[in-house]
Amino acid sequence: MHYLILGNCAAALNAVEGIRSVDEEGEITIISKEPYLAYARCLITNYLLGTHEEKDLWLRDEEFYENSGVNLVLGKSAVKVFPEEKKVEIEGGKRISYDRLLIATGSSPKKLGVEGEEKEGVFGFRTLDDAKKIRERTKKAEKVLVFGGGLIGLKAGYALKKKGLEVEVIVKSPCILSRVVNPEAGKLISRWLEENGIKIRTGLGPEKIIGNKEVEGVILDNGEKTKCELIIVGKGVSPNLSFLEGSGIKTHWGVVVDDHLATNFSGIYAAGDVAETKDLITGEPTINALWSAAQEQGWVAGINMAGEEKVYPGSLSANATEFFGLPFISMGRVREKENVEIKEKIDEERFLYKRLIFKEGRLIGTVMVGNVAKAGIYMALIRRKVNVEHIKDELLEDWVDAGLVRGIIEGEEGFRESISPEGKIIKFA
Amino acid sequence: MKRIFVDIERCLSCRSCEIACGVKHSESKTLFKAIKEDPLPLPRIRVTSQQEKAFPIQCRHCPEPYCLYACIAGAIRRDKETGLILTDENKCVHCYSCVMVCPYGVIRVGGKGEVAVKCDFCQDEEIPPCVEACPTGALFFGEREEFLKIVEERRNALSHSG
Repeated sequence: MHYLILGNCAAALNAVEGIRSVDEEGEITIISKEPYLAYARCLITNYLLGTHEEKDLWLRDEEFYENSGVNLVLGKSAVKVFPEEKKVEIEGGKRISYDRLLIATGSSPKKLGVEGEEKEGVFGFRTLDDAKKIRERTKKAEKVLVFGGGLIGLKAGYALKKKGLEVEVIVKSPCILSRVVNPEAGKLISRWLEENGIKIRTGLGPEKIIGNKEVEGVILDNGEKTKCELIIVGKGVSPNLSFLEGSGIKTHWGVVVDDHLATNFSGIYAAGDVAETKDLITGEPTINALWSAAQEQGWVAGINMAGEEKVYPGSLSANATEFFGLPFISMGRVREKENVEIKEKIDEERFLYKRLIFKEGRLIGTVMVGNVAKAGIYMALIRRKVNVEHIKDELLEDWVDAGLVRGIIEGEEGFRESISPEGKIIKFA
Repeated sequence: MKRIFVDIERCLSCRSCEIACGVKHSESKTLFKAIKEDPLPLPRIRVTSQQEKAFPIQCRHCPEPYCLYACIAGAIRRDKETGLILTDENKCVHCYSCVMVCPYGVIRVGGKGEVAVKCDFCQDEEIPPCVEACPTGALFFGEREEFLKIVEERRNALSHSG
């Protein structure tokens, strides 16, 4: 059995471990366009900041690949897949056969799509190489413009501000994080960032990037000219699937997979940012391009590839991070407006906020700013899709703990069990 | 595989387990000095309550470890031999991703270094201190079958005594 994995990040690594949890014998080959061992992609922020060096980012050492019996082919992209022949062509023309194939090629930053984008000093923020180039660039940059108010752009801006640069975030929407949280939370976080020295401007976009070889500034779509030496493009990502064109593998937004993360060809699977799975709450097809989703999907795909059956329950939009010491969490359908009931509380002065979104008696989304303790209990309720009609008000309280919801989510797998006085085995949730 | 179990009929919410856990994870390892440490050591077990019933809870080392999937720093791993979910606090970047997904709400960020901490199963101890400190026998350390047997005996004894 030869397992071929395209990609070498979260999904790929977990697929290796998933495969090995079932099959210790089969041969595994990883092909990755990046020249590095798998690294913690989300920590390129820390690398940019300088708290982490390259070696601190490796998720596994070389020994792991060796012990797992993985042949690593680094620095090469897959260029074409031939499902009928069970072969993949890689850069340079070599064709590799497989018995099971995992497409885990990830995604790439979207471009701004304006004149001058090719100038030196304009970067996406996705790879270790991006972070290296940005870190080099900061030596001669004073002011940075971040286009896009999503998490990637803001994390880059946060690191650069901490490094002492002047940071201005420019977003087209009326508020930052418009796709991550609801506007109330977005405004609160926005004010926190501004109080910490990051300038935020809304309703604006770039028209043209100016400079000779290197970026010197931007003309905005209101005609204003702004000077800067560095530009970060944080306009989201799109899946890397152009190499699948003509292969017959079904794609839509991403590679279309079923509940076992299998594609329309037997033996071919997809996981991570490139895979279009279903949303856990709505059941609709979606791509939640998240680290957590990629890891879980990789693990599940690996197990299925190795011949055991494991169902992927669907992905859940979920983000957690911290800016200048203020943590926030957003999970589920936080922006849904139709037929929902909202419970929320806010303390603007102390930057505390909690919002719960209910639909048909179930919790479908939660936003927490400032105090995020025990947030996972809300996620458990969302995942279990249980009726919480009778405790909606209690759930808004800060004392919520596993005790409150234990009875509700009973039956969740777990090791802890107890026996009631009647002798019934109670599984703890 | 040995795990920590709870007989929910026996917990009186005395919180001895919390104190024992805090001391175990302190710098000084003694209660006398631990309570003067700044920051205070964080217990990884806590007594929660459901209506009139109390029960202690800590990391369940889930077979489906959402915290491991969510960790962006590679700081959480599954031990191949024991199935335990273990963290490397040095790798933690306190991003709160594990806090976001733990269905029991038992991962906390704080203490020295402001990192995410949870039950590490005190593998250097024969019996975890939380279990050892429990005066009522609500906490039990051992195999599942063993635990079920003991609880059954307890219930039988209760019903016989009327």
